[in-house]
Amino acid sequence: MSISLAQGIWISVFAIIAGIDFWLEGFYIFRPIIVCTVVGAILGNLKLGLVAGGLTELVFAGLTPVGGTQPPNPVMAGIMTVVLAYTTGHSPATAIGLSLPFSILTQYIILFYYSAFSVFAKKFNEYAEKLELNKFRNLAYGLTLLVGLTYGVLSFLCVYAAQKPMSNFVNSFPGWLSHGFTIAGGILPAVGFAILLQTMLKGRYVPYLLLGFTAACFIKFGNLMPVAVIGGCLAAIEYYQAVRTRKIKNELKEIRENQNDGGDSDGI
Amino acid sequence: MASDEQQQTTPKRHKLSHSDVTKLALRSLLNQSAFNYELMQGDGYALSLIPALKKIYGDDQKGLSEAIKANTAFINTNNYAAPLLLGLEASLEENGAPRSTIDGLRIALFGPLAGIGDSITWFTILPIVAGIAASFAKQGSLIGPIIFLAVYIALFFARIPICHLGYSVGTKSISSIRANSGIVSHAASVLGCTVIGGLIATYVTMNVKLKIPVTATHSIALQKEFLDHIFPNILPLGYTFLLYWLIKKKHVSPLWLIIITFIVALVCSWLGVL
Repeated sequence: MSISLAQGIWISVFAIIAGIDFWLEGFYIFRPIIVCTVVGAILGNLKLGLVAGGLTELVFAGLTPVGGTQPPNPVMAGIMTVVLAYTTGHSPATAIGLSLPFSILTQYIILFYYSAFSVFAKKFNEYAEKLELNKFRNLAYGLTLLVGLTYGVLSFLCVYAAQKPMSNFVNSFPGWLSHGFTIAGGILPAVGFAILLQTMLKGRYVPYLLLGFTAACFIKFGNLMPVAVIGGCLAAIEYYQAVRTRKIKNELKEIRENQNDGGDSDGI
Repeated sequence: MASDEQQQTTPKRHKLSHSDVTKLALRSLLNQSAFNYELMQGDGYALSLIPALKKIYGDDQKGLSEAIKANTAFINTNNYAAPLLLGLEASLEENGAPRSTIDGLRIALFGPLAGIGDSITWFTILPIVAGIAASFAKQGSLIGPIIFLAVYIALFFARIPICHLGYSVGTKSISSIRANSGIVSHAASVLGCTVIGGLIATYVTMNVKLKIPVTATHSIALQKEFLDHIFPNILPLGYTFLLYWLIKKKHVSPLWLIIITFIVALVCSWLGVL
């Protein structure tokens, strides 16, 4: 079955909303179970949407955007699974596989945005400096909207205008280019940390930085909890040490003052 | 006492009302609005805080600008943990805690909170809810997506009590923090630097793919058999320090560092080094 222009537009409008929701991780309407259901309803085959949604959701349950990584895009996977099952007559399970090039393409574009938006960090800083807070807000809203519109345009192209060329384009991506984006994504946090260290790091804190680094290297654990506990212990040790030093200093001062007093009274 | 010297003449800070904190909780939705690889949620986190900071700082334009700028720093946490941090930070700001203490605490807390939050929301709630909802949906029942949506709308509004919790924790701990502000900010820097060390090891990834042929049949994988034996993650640490040195000593702008990093990544990918 083919898709009408109106259906293509409605899917695109929904893609914008779901795309923004995925960007902000707000209400989780970006998950395949919701996306597939809505797209199925738009195409007039709610049952297909529900079944595809259940299947795709289970496939994506393990693929989570945790720790800055970006799994295949769940919004586009949801849309294309239903659309391909609807237009080609394949089963939803097969359509999940066919939808993969589209969700990977979307993934690359989002990866590109993650990297490219680093450029605006300086602009945000400038607006904060000059207290141009409306511009600060509008820039953030603008970036979010840009992401949403990208979802809209992409899904319109994939769903209605150019299904075949799109999948060919994805498959023709040179390997080194997409791999290069992945590498850049892995290294770019270093820029953020370097900026943090610029304000925080003093000579006497370098040992702690290295301790934290070493701990994270050798303690294999899903998150940074062990490092944070070690850091907390070090901070507590430093804290009590400093409190004690202050107390000793004050006592020394008192003793010295008493000595002076004593000296005076003895002298008389 | 020593703490009195720290107080100086800071302009008066204003208090947030109950509904201000609720608004802050809802604004945590903007946490990822400007997401990028350099600062992750930094700019979005600051955007969430702006109305609260505006009210707290009032006419103190300089203080406001400093506070917003400090909050654009690198942060990457779980989106349900973000309101906790926002609430905590708002209460510290309004009670006039020193900048270094606030920043140190935020940097120290976001990582562990991300770990706890992710394991609860992504690895516990999501698989359970998705599993139940999908089992309904696969049979063609609308109950599936409805359950799913209901759970996540409820979770969104859970941000409100989470934010109030952070706010009240901050208010309670502020007096003891202030009595020892110099020492606390030193301890917070210790914690912060330790965690940044850990972040470098976990967030920055560089894997050398090169192999050096030793004999016709044998070759040494540079990463696995050489670099990893010296020290794991030595490249990320070295690269971060290189960037730090470029910023601090050579005053290179962060934008250039991003461009350099991009070129390095693409060239290394093309040459097959990384």
